[in-house]
Amino acid sequence: MSGDTGGRVILLVEDNPDDEALTLRALKRNRIGNEIVVAHDGVEALDYLFGEGQYAERDTSIKPIVILLDLKLPRINGLEVLRRIREAESTRLLPVVVLTTSNEERDLFESYSLGCNSYIRKPVDFLQFSEAIRQLGMYWLLMNEPPPV
Amino acid sequence: MNQERLAQIHDLCRDEAAFEQLQQTLSAELHSLEEIREAQLQVERQKTLLRVVTRLRETLDLDTLFKATAAEVRQLLSADRVGMFRFYPDSGWDDGEFVSEDVDPEFSSAIAQKIHDHCFGDQFAVHYQEGRVQNVADIYSAGLSDCHIQILAQFQVRANLVVPLLQGKHLWGLLCIHQCRDSREWQTTEIEFVQQIASHLAIALQQAELMAELRAEIAERQQAQERAQEFNQGLRQAIVELQAVNQELETFSYSVSHDLRAPLRSIDGFSQALLEDYLEHLDTTGQDYLRRIRSASQRMGQLIDDLLTLSRVTRSEMQKQTVNLSHVASRLCTQLQQAHPERQVEFVIQPELIANGDPHLLQVVLDNLISNAWKFTSREPLARIEFGGMIQENGIPIYFVQDNGVGFEMAFVEKLFKPFQRLHQMQEFPGNGIGLATVQRIIHRHGGQVWAEGKLNQGTTFYFTLAAEEISA
Repeated sequence: MSGDTGGRVILLVEDNPDDEALTLRALKRNRIGNEIVVAHDGVEALDYLFGEGQYAERDTSIKPIVILLDLKLPRINGLEVLRRIREAESTRLLPVVVLTTSNEERDLFESYSLGCNSYIRKPVDFLQFSEAIRQLGMYWLLMNEPPPV
Repeated sequence: MNQERLAQIHDLCRDEAAFEQLQQTLSAELHSLEEIREAQLQVERQKTLLRVVTRLRETLDLDTLFKATAAEVRQLLSADRVGMFRFYPDSGWDDGEFVSEDVDPEFSSAIAQKIHDHCFGDQFAVHYQEGRVQNVADIYSAGLSDCHIQILAQFQVRANLVVPLLQGKHLWGLLCIHQCRDSREWQTTEIEFVQQIASHLAIALQQAELMAELRAEIAERQQAQERAQEFNQGLRQAIVELQAVNQELETFSYSVSHDLRAPLRSIDGFSQALLEDYLEHLDTTGQDYLRRIRSASQRMGQLIDDLLTLSRVTRSEMQKQTVNLSHVASRLCTQLQQAHPERQVEFVIQPELIANGDPHLLQVVLDNLISNAWKFTSREPLARIEFGGMIQENGIPIYFVQDNGVGFEMAFVEKLFKPFQRLHQMQEFPGNGIGLATVQRIIHRHGGQVWAEGKLNQGTTFYFTLAAEEISA
């Protein structure tokens, strides 16, 4: 992990505790050591990003290096979260990876229309899932130059 | 000139010669007076005829025409009753009734009284049909049958003039002129006049028949139109219902895709986590169990994916165009060979087989059929897979994919295309029995048929057609 991205957080938006545990485990096993903030629904994710609600005290100038976004979420769903991220000046450049169970065409279409950077379908096979997380970490944390803060 | 008047003149004349001369002069004079009167009558008749013809042009309503005509004819002939008698259709001219009349108030009306004359149909109808006129000066001295006299007497008839009313060549009814107060000698000119009236009424009857036919046709068309509208309505309703069902199906598969897969991922993921993190605590049996759990959850994940694919094949919109099936087949074969370079398979692909259909769906068909052939020839040292086509007598091409693999027993052919039905054990040949169900759905959506022929250990051939509209292709 290079020094200038190592300190930056990954925002994981995931309501399913199993998927959360599996994702965290996969990140850890692939030696991705960044701090991981978990938001359990769309409202929490937006609160974190815009410093509201439980995150009112947070310094919003610290932005996640990548957001891993599930689509099916309680309260505000993933597509709506994505739309608000792209609408707000402070977050519109943040890399968003949709990480979801669905491979329905309309979800793919909607996600890309709203400007997601990448769309990954969570496979049933954990080894494939782990591999997807590894490649995702490789790309977004090591290869990709993040947008200027 | 009457005799009494002549005798008076004779007495006034002084000699026989003068009387003779006077008589001749007078009778010439009287003759021309007769002629004038006859001419006047003739003019009146022509006027009446003209009015009938005019009315014929103005109204298509038989009742109105009959009523007015009866009144005019009665007045002109100084008759007591003029009536239009109609035979009941299919009564064999034995039964009928007066449908219209004009009658002197002194005498009773004949209208709407049912008349049955069992001898008329047999004996007279055929003559009337040929235009016969019955002309009776006095019914009691004309040698009529008793039953006939009885029928006429009930309407107080003494003298009778009857002319047929024809509709085309069919005897529709009778135009009857009755004299009731006295007997009456019918004049030739009067008979001719009544015949003329009857021939004009025949035109009206003809028109009425055409009109009725026209009305029936219009009514029939209206009914057909209404039926078509009802049918359309039903169709629209069915479409709406179908759309609702499709919508539900879509929602269902969407939630299947989300909700059913997530727990499977947990099962598989935590089984793997156990294998990785707690390996030293598990003996080989425990490890085997966990692997079985993983492989079962993965298989179920695959099943869900395949089911979703199958439902998408049914739902997706078709975009028909020209597809070179030979190219598609070649590409698929090349991919298979590249993925498994260790296998020796001979591919025989007939070039330039062109079809009309959805390119993506037809590729799915060939992919399934050729992959099947590939799979079921895996034990064959000299495997051979052929794709070809032939034109049937009706012009519709049949395509086929043939292999020399393990084949199947024809007794189970029905099972082949049902989802999740398999003819081989999982260990022998992997698969979940969705492929051929998918093929069948795609072929049916194209309006075609798919069937299989096989023999155990002697290979399989799948045949399919695509829509009948390819006749010209």
